[in-house]
Amino acid sequence: MEKLSQLIIDIGRLWEGYGNSYLRGIGNTLILALVATAIGCIIGFFFGVLNTIPVSENEHPVKRFFLGFVRVIIRLYVEVFRGTPMVLQAVFLYYGLPYITNNALRFSSIWLASIIIVSINTGAYMTESVRGGILSVDPGQTEGAKAVGMNHFQTMSAVILPQALRNIMPQIGNNFIINVKDTSVMFIIGFPDFFAAHRSATGATYLYFPSATIEMIGYFSLTLIASFLLRRLEKRMDGESSYELAAADPLVMTAGTYKHAERSRK
Amino acid sequence: MRNRENAILEVRDLRKSFGNNLVLDGIDFEVYSGDVISIIGSSGSGKSTLLRCINQLEMPGSGEIYYRGEDVLVRGVNVSEYRAQVGMVFQSFNLFYNMTVLENCIVGQVKVLGRSKEEARERSLEYLNKVGMSAFVKAKPRQISGGQQQRVAIARALAMDPDILLFDEPTSALDPETVGEVLAVMQDLAAEGMTMLVVTHEMEFAHDISSEVFFMHKGKIHERGTASELFENPGQPETIDFLRRFRTGRAF
Ligand SMILES: Nc1ncnc2c1ncn2[C@@H]1O[C@H](COP(=O)(O)OP(=O)(O)O)[C@@H](O)[C@H]1O
Ligand SMILES: [Mg+2]
Repeated sequence: MEKLSQLIIDIGRLWEGYGNSYLRGIGNTLILALVATAIGCIIGFFFGVLNTIPVSENEHPVKRFFLGFVRVIIRLYVEVFRGTPMVLQAVFLYYGLPYITNNALRFSSIWLASIIIVSINTGAYMTESVRGGILSVDPGQTEGAKAVGMNHFQTMSAVILPQALRNIMPQIGNNFIINVKDTSVMFIIGFPDFFAAHRSATGATYLYFPSATIEMIGYFSLTLIASFLLRRLEKRMDGESSYELAAADPLVMTAGTYKHAERSRK
Repeated sequence: MRNRENAILEVRDLRKSFGNNLVLDGIDFEVYSGDVISIIGSSGSGKSTLLRCINQLEMPGSGEIYYRGEDVLVRGVNVSEYRAQVGMVFQSFNLFYNMTVLENCIVGQVKVLGRSKEEARERSLEYLNKVGMSAFVKAKPRQISGGQQQRVAIARALAMDPDILLFDEPTSALDPETVGEVLAVMQDLAAEGMTMLVVTHEMEFAHDISSEVFFMHKGKIHERGTASELFENPGQPETIDFLRRFRTGRAF
């Protein structure tokens, strides 16, 4: 009990001195996670769609070669960025760019660098999710679309991708929640996120446990709210669970039934 | 009247293999305006593959398909445009799950035929009404029965103003009590002069509506004739054998 009141007092002290810094950190974390997840989804959809363009044998050889080449590149991208830690990717790109270009190019802002790195990382995961999401749509949907004369692009945009998007909503949500937490590694290049606020607060006060408590509560609230909102969004995408009949009495509109021999033959 | 120049569809020596499995072994026939051709035959005889080759969901191995005199298998043909004229109704309905009943009927008209939303909507309602589904415009496919889905699928195909409609076992996936409602819609279409190619196991129905019946066997049109010829006086032993398995005691 005594410890608890001590903790509350310490948290109060921290908040007095660094409350704004924590809040700004939360804001930055949230913005980075949102923007990077969105861009990552766009990357994922772009590559995922490229990856699932059907390559049939009677296609033009140049087109086949090109599609094959694109697939190899995407494969490489996915493997590299899924297979290495994001904290390392951040260092690698942030310091690598000026190193390789002899300082001709460098990231002009920490924000830009962070957004690019987290987006590329998210994109690698989303590329695989989108591919899976597209493949999990019933092949009959494509046939139905082709049968009414839709081309590949129309089939994808009107029929397949909306269903794929719904299929992978849980994974998008998952990626967002992971990003909220994992953007904390971007302190390595100096990004002022929520966890960075902890580092600066404790550097001066040495109140590690009270500050960590603030961080735990902060991150947990963020991800909890995110999960809740995502559920709501998924429900909305599913639409009404029941439908309204357009006419007062549906029976009037029902088609008759076919009976052999009752009708005259041709 | 029935000479090749005015055939809607002309199929010449069509062949198709999957690996070394020869599934279509030289198919020849023409379809004229108003024809209602039923295709019967046992499972695996190539009926679905024939329909799928006709609207190019499968690429035939060899042979020709002429649509109103134009070879549609050569390179450079606008396949989408052609498919819009040849409607297809599938055994598994294949309605778009992400759209309502009404949107299912609208989307092709707007995207493929370039009709305005309002015109597409009006036509959709007209055809949904025709198949008795206009009360369900707001429903999603997964919320209605199989028979209702299939009637919507027919409306979706009709809304494209097709020249010819292909049906691949449209009632095979349905509960017995909903088969009748789909057959009734098809019978009305046939009576109105719609040109149709119907793969079916509903022998009485085929007998009632068909202007011609094809019996397929091992990738060939093994026997063909008018409904009464084929059902009442089949000539080939395979046809007789096949039909015996479908007799229900009723005379046809
Ligand atoms: N996509 C495919 N790949 C390989 N074999 C196929 C494919 N589609 C059909 N077949 C084969 O072709 C034969 C004819 O099939 P199908 O046309 O569906 O017959 P039906 O509709 O008369 O039952 C069957 O042996 C089937 O296994
Ligand atoms: Mg079949």
